Amino acid sequence: MAAILQVRNLVKRFGGVTAINGVSLSLEAGKIYGLIGPNGSGKTTLFNCITGIERRDSGAVGFKGRRIDRLKPHQIFHRGLGRTFQIIRVFPELTALENLLVVTTSEFKPARERAEELLRFVKLETLADEYAGNLSYGQQKLLEFIRVLMSDPDLILLDEPAAGVNRTLLNELLDAVKALRDRGKTIFLVEHDMKVVMGLCETVFVLDHGEKLAEGPPGVIQADERVIEAYFGR
Amino acid sequence: MKRWARWFPAALALLLLVLSVYPLWATGYGVRVMLQLFMWIALAQSWNLISGLTGYVSFGHVAFFGMGAYTTAILVVKGVAWPLAAVAGGVMAVVLAFVIGWPCLRLKGPYFAIAMLGLNEVLRVMASYFEGLTGGGLGLSLPTLDASVRIYYAMGLVALAVTAATYVIVTSRFGLRLMTIREDEVAAEAMGIDTFRYKIYAFLLSAAAPGIVGGLAARDMGYIEPISVFPLVTTITMIVMVLFGGKGTIWGPVLGAVILFTFQELVWANFPHAHQILLGGIIVAVVLVMPRGILGVLQQRYNLPRTV
Repeated sequence: MAAILQVRNLVKRFGGVTAINGVSLSLEAGKIYGLIGPNGSGKTTLFNCITGIERRDSGAVGFKGRRIDRLKPHQIFHRGLGRTFQIIRVFPELTALENLLVVTTSEFKPARERAEELLRFVKLETLADEYAGNLSYGQQKLLEFIRVLMSDPDLILLDEPAAGVNRTLLNELLDAVKALRDRGKTIFLVEHDMKVVMGLCETVFVLDHGEKLAEGPPGVIQADERVIEAYFGR
Repeated sequence: MKRWARWFPAALALLLLVLSVYPLWATGYGVRVMLQLFMWIALAQSWNLISGLTGYVSFGHVAFFGMGAYTTAILVVKGVAWPLAAVAGGVMAVVLAFVIGWPCLRLKGPYFAIAMLGLNEVLRVMASYFEGLTGGGLGLSLPTLDASVRIYYAMGLVALAVTAATYVIVTSRFGLRLMTIREDEVAAEAMGIDTFRYKIYAFLLSAAAPGIVGGLAARDMGYIEPISVFPLVTTITMIVMVLFGGKGTIWGPVLGAVILFTFQELVWANFPHAHQILLGGIIVAVVLVMPRGILGVLQQRYNLPRTV
């Protein structure tokens, strides 16, 4: 099966710091991928380079067979690549409903209808007219998650979806991610919670100091000496 | 809530009716005070369109006012009818906004504010320098004409038009997308919003009314010079009116303009020396006590819809 996302020899420097040092990876459509690595290993920077928020220094990013590494974030979004952020970035002084309405829907369905459907999906429908800034942390996290679903993207990057979310909510979120995968969507997520990564992902990439350390099924990764060393030291 | 929704449009219609017949029985002074109030509503409302909605604070918005004033004055001196000349002033202001916005709207927050401040200073100096066209520091005198009643209607129309436009924008997805830029520009981009294009649209819209109003003011004053149409204090007054009434709201700029203009007129008439001190005091008080402004506080406290 053809890769939906291809990253080749990606390099990103911030001044003298090389945040991403020649990373290559390839994602196939319809699967859930994980990205793990110690703090500062370049996970979020990699996401930022893929989504155009940071401009890569060299290397290439291909999405559905076309290069996207010179596009602006909004153009990449309209190609069908959506994301959420590690630190919540809802629009606080817009209501929950308005947070969804600003996103262009790709399917032929009125935006409001789609938005209300998504709010019901994560059980936030009673809070539709509440300012997003007044919602709890977990609710904002869910709102950000359904906001990216407004446009029905083919590939969704989730930056630490489980962080700060309670168990009940988390299980619902994970079920939602699996349901998306079953509909043929591709998910790529950064996560620190190993239980989540191991239970959900088919393939896991490990980053360390901006380089890809390992790649493989969760069971293999968990037993990998280099991965254990990167996380816990020698 | 429901009752409010019913009587508000009726009250508004009544107010508009009273204002439309006001010049029939008003004194000349009364008409001129009201036309200035309309001017301030149009200016505050325009500033709100770019700065209240997108959060890009324009510290040089009076530049569009000055551009309109000079365009109109030059055309009127050449014999063009003043209403047409004022519209040309609006067009020139929009052209200026495009030329300035294209590079400057790529700048983030504070840098944009400083760039706009610089723009206004540059224009003022240019107006003094190109004497052949602008009369330089001596200014331009327009042919005498008593048109204050007609200017009253023209100003009122512009104020009404910008307010109506703001209503349409704030209640649309276009307006919501402008607000996402204020809320979180990076997230807005990541959610597929072409933030640069949206900022340009908002900026062009926000320049039109100050251009027209500047032209009308020039016709009303009959004489303009660089310091009278490019004063920094005009921008600051626009900002204070919007902050006081509630930035990013539909009626906040109107409310702020009415209250502050009335206050200014009263204080200025009774305590000319205390005028500036009191204005400064209001600025400090607003920023400290209610940074969201009157309507912003009410909306937040009673969870009112945006249309209030």
